[in-house]
Amino acid sequence: MDERKMIYIHPAPVRVWHWINAVGIVLLVITGLQIRFAEMMNLFSLEEAINLHNYIGFVVIGAYGLWASYYFGTGKIKLYFPNPKTFICDCKTQIQYYGMGIFKGDPNPHEMTPDNKFNALQKKAYLTIMFILLPIQMITGLFLWRIKKFEDYIDLLGGIKIVDTIHVILFFFFFVFVFVHIYLSTLGHTPLAHMKAMFTGYEEHH
Amino acid sequence: MFQKYKQLACCCIAFLLFIMLYPYTALSVENDECMDCHGDDSLERIESEGMKEGLYLEYNKFKYSVHNVNGITCVDCHSDIEELNYDNEIPHEASLAIVNCDGCHEEEGEAYLNSVHRKAKGKGISIPCYACHGYHYVSHLEADSVFERENGFCLKCHNPNKFHDWLPQKETHFAFVECTVCHAPEVPRYINLRFFDLSRNKFLSGEELLKGLNTDYDGFMPLVDRDGNGIISVNEFNDMILILRHKEVRGTFHGELLVHLEPIVHHVNRGGANRECEQCHIPSSPFFQDVQISLNKPDGTTAQFSVERDVLETYYVSHFYALGGTRIRLLDKIGLAMLVAGAGVVVAHLTARIVTIPVRRKRKLEEKV
Ligand code: HEC
Ligand code: HEC
Ligand code: HEC
Ligand code: HEC
Ligand code: HEC
Ligand code: HEM
Repeated sequence: MDERKMIYIHPAPVRVWHWINAVGIVLLVITGLQIRFAEMMNLFSLEEAINLHNYIGFVVIGAYGLWASYYFGTGKIKLYFPNPKTFICDCKTQIQYYGMGIFKGDPNPHEMTPDNKFNALQKKAYLTIMFILLPIQMITGLFLWRIKKFEDYIDLLGGIKIVDTIHVILFFFFFVFVFVHIYLSTLGHTPLAHMKAMFTGYEEHH
Repeated sequence: MFQKYKQLACCCIAFLLFIMLYPYTALSVENDECMDCHGDDSLERIESEGMKEGLYLEYNKFKYSVHNVNGITCVDCHSDIEELNYDNEIPHEASLAIVNCDGCHEEEGEAYLNSVHRKAKGKGISIPCYACHGYHYVSHLEADSVFERENGFCLKCHNPNKFHDWLPQKETHFAFVECTVCHAPEVPRYINLRFFDLSRNKFLSGEELLKGLNTDYDGFMPLVDRDGNGIISVNEFNDMILILRHKEVRGTFHGELLVHLEPIVHHVNRGGANRECEQCHIPSSPFFQDVQISLNKPDGTTAQFSVERDVLETYYVSHFYALGGTRIRLLDKIGLAMLVAGAGVVVAHLTARIVTIPVRRKRKLEEKV
């Protein structure tokens, strides 16, 4: 049993951000569905759904602020940037692992350490999400929240329908992401290992 | 043979009309006579409270009012003036009767009885037709946008910001939905599409748009509605835009929700509006069924042509979007495909993981040995 040591992988601010974000996104997806498909769903009235969606949106934007100030403040944002020299190769081995090795019981080619906790695929995915998709979703959401106030910017982007289209496509993306992300979190050395770590901060190391 | 009878009949009718109308036209007072005095912009009188009241009328504006254009004269409205008697200092009664607009506009007058504004009379508040419409410079409302319709009417007396705190995006609603769409809910309403020219940065009048299409009002539908079913489909709409692009006319269609100007538009009542958002914000909402392209004429009227509702779900109308109601269904299909793909990958991977459990268990045992 001694070979199993615990490493501290998720510092407190990251965990706090993560769960606010997770609950927030799930609620945004649910209220978002109610808003877009008012004729098919009856969880809330449209008026309630819109108000909730707006409040939660601001909570998620606030949480993003927490994430950004932590990661940029501590310089740990490096975690999110792949090493350009080994990136393609790393991706290949990681894909091979998820597509093949994992079924045979091969060890994960990526070793998680506090300084390098994401594998190449995670880096690519999280970098895209946190630097591009989530900010776009927050900005389009903000525009849609006060159409009149942001009229000029909306016109610049080509009209309300364009802004709405971007927000909706990303909304579907995040909807799918939540499922896939939860599933991927069960790929640790036990199904609940990653999940536990996101609460306690400690991941078991082999 | 028949032609001859017709001509004869026409002559007789014309003669009869002449006889009937002759004394009337001769006796009635001409507008010019009134304007001798009321065309003087210094003509005013002192009210009992010491306030000055102007009695001047801008004839150049009056000339273009619907009433003058339709031959209504001063004394048709101020009908208690039968003649001008210049022996007196004032050639008519100093205090004239209240003008009865509903004498001519009977249907509107009747509809107005069922309005909170008319019913206020019980409380001693009198709101005559012209409190909203004005009187000397009345114009056609048909071609007016939401903005013009609201400014000229409801906003003269109400500040809507006070009453609609519950309404999300209230400024946007007021900019795109005429007050009476919500407050006189019985009135038929429609989506009005107007062409906004992006290079000239303005809404094109009917004539300007027709010039771009190289046609006129009568030629518009035959040109655009190629299958001749009386309604412009998405494809026909698409082709119309292409013709315009060809002529270097680039722009987009702006939409707004207006009421048809029927007498029952006056049925504005307390509690008449309903704040259930789902009335509009679902695709089957009746509010988006009637869609019209408006070609506005200089006299304030407009020529309207029916358009299929599906046009609202295209990017040609990119500045009008009623959340949920006019959503683009294609996006929902893309979303569904993304979900199915995501779920498929998860399920396939999970299944493979379960199926291969024995493989890993065997390997673990071997490693232990
Ligand atoms: C000779 C000048 C003169 C002519 C011509 C004249 N008016 Fe007047 N009108 C006046 C004056 C002066 C007053 C103000 C009366 C007062 O002091 O109360 C007046 C007042 C009025 C008023 C306000 C009455 C009210 O009830 O407050 C109306 C309406 C009016 N005129 C319409 C007409 C019309 C219509 C004509 C043409 C058929 C006409 N006037 C021709 C001089 C004239
Ligand atoms: C569509 C009907 C209509 C026509 C046509 C019309 N008036 Fe009037 N006029 C009114 C009404 C309504 C009032 C307002 C009475 C009130 O405020 O009590 C009015 C008021 C007036 C006043 C009082 C001052 C004012 O502006 O309130 C004068 C003077 C007057 N009219 C003159 C004329 C003259 C001159 C003509 C023809 C050139 C004319 N009107 C044509 C409906 C009409
Ligand atoms: C003597 C008859 C007569 C009187 C009185 C009269 N009108 Fe009219 N009104 C007409 C005629 C005729 C038209 C033009 C017919 C049309 O285009 O529908 C018209 C048109 C209008 C229109 C334009 C409707 C449209 O199609 O856009 C309005 C608004 C209007 N009148 C308001 C008033 C008001 C307000 C009063 C009272 C101050 C009034 N009218 C008094 C005869 C009258
Ligand atoms: C000439 C001024 C005036 C104009 C223009 C006007 N209103 Fe009113 N409105 C009033 C007054 C005064 C009352 C109050 C009546 C009462 O107390 O019974 C009222 C009452 C109402 C009410 C009932 C609620 C309340 O506060 O009592 C509604 C709804 C309303 N108006 C809507 C409209 C709409 C929609 C328009 C435009 C089509 C409009 N009004 C144009 C003066 C106006
Ligand atoms: C989206 C629909 C909608 C639009 C557009 C709208 N209203 Fe309303 N308005 C309502 C509803 C619903 C109420 C009742 C609110 C409530 O019950 O508290 C209301 C309330 C009011 C009241 C108070 C009535 C009362 O019973 O106390 C007035 C006055 C009013 N609106 C005027 C206007 C005016 C003026 C405009 C145009 C600028 C306008 N509204 C546009 C839906 C609308
Ligand atoms: C119920 C929903 C969610 C669950 C259960 C969950 C779970 C987890 C777990 C276990 C991890 C750490 C494991 C790892 O990094 O491999 C993690 C990391 C992460 N998750 Fe989630 N997540 C959820 C929702 C979301 C959502 C909605 C987003 C973004 C929109 C998100 C973004 C991230 C990111 C960026 C990381 C890396 C965090 C870091 O910097 O440490 N998660 N999540």
